[in-house]
Amino acid sequence: MIQLLPMPEATVTPGVPKYLQEGNFVTFTDRWPDTLSWVKGKSFVIEKTNQVPYDLHYIIPTNDFKDVDLSNSSDGEKMYPTNTKTLYQVGVGFKPADMLCDLFIPAGEYCQRLEYASMVPTLSSNTLRYLGAFNSTDTPYGDARLFFYFVYRLEPLIMRLYVDYGIDYEKIVAGFLVNQCYMRQVLLTPEQAAQSDVIRYYTELRW
Amino acid sequence: MPSIAKAMESTTVIFATEKQNAKIIPSVLVVDNYNGSQPAVITLQDCFTPSVTNGVSSPTSGTVVSRMITTVDNGGLEILGPTLEDVEILGQARVLIETMDSSCFVTLGWDFE
Repeated sequence: MIQLLPMPEATVTPGVPKYLQEGNFVTFTDRWPDTLSWVKGKSFVIEKTNQVPYDLHYIIPTNDFKDVDLSNSSDGEKMYPTNTKTLYQVGVGFKPADMLCDLFIPAGEYCQRLEYASMVPTLSSNTLRYLGAFNSTDTPYGDARLFFYFVYRLEPLIMRLYVDYGIDYEKIVAGFLVNQCYMRQVLLTPEQAAQSDVIRYYTELRW
Repeated sequence: MPSIAKAMESTTVIFATEKQNAKIIPSVLVVDNYNGSQPAVITLQDCFTPSVTNGVSSPTSGTVVSRMITTVDNGGLEILGPTLEDVEILGQARVLIETMDSSCFVTLGWDFE
């Protein structure tokens, strides 16, 4: 559901597209909840795609943050699908800025943390502020490496955008590319299953 | 790269409006005070409205931050290029002159990032 693509160590020709294409297969694991029964444990073929770019921008003072809810909630950015047959694959990159980005899903639960109890992102700590936080070099604008996968009625994903010390104000520009994918459920052959992209539920990030 | 030249006919002159999804990166600033009647104290200002954040629920509209100040004697000309490379403007780019002087001309060139 959340994926950071590392910098490649080698290139291949022809290149491998970052975004899902028509004819690609995706498989949602059995760990998806019953409340999202339209995807839980099911496999799909992508029949159609449509790419929609979108930029969000915020000017934030030093040592302050803004929580950006990407869901369709009343104060959210409405970047979730409204159809059970739609998957949104969302790539996000940031323009250069003195910023950090923490992720929560649902609100209040950190995505990036370590197993030891106190090892969670903590903005008031001089060291833990940098734990689990993405910055603009991790996922540059126009070359997104951080990907989210949104389906209908998924819990809200929150991006906490923080401006670090050392600057009076900073403008954070988040560039999104929403790859809208229309899915049709299929039963995969073993060969197709091996090629299928596995989309895990966020609870599988914590074990 | 856009640029524009303006006479300092008022104390504050707007050179570029905010581009919402970019910063303005000044690349050249020319102050032509050859016919000026007094030394020109020039301030490059950044005017913007911050977002609502965790710490500030009602941000001040039209927050102004001075990004660079220079003084050019009357009869003088100053061209700033590479020294501007670390100047970033988040919102509207405008130039303030301490004493209005329509004989003082300012040229600003910039890129977007």
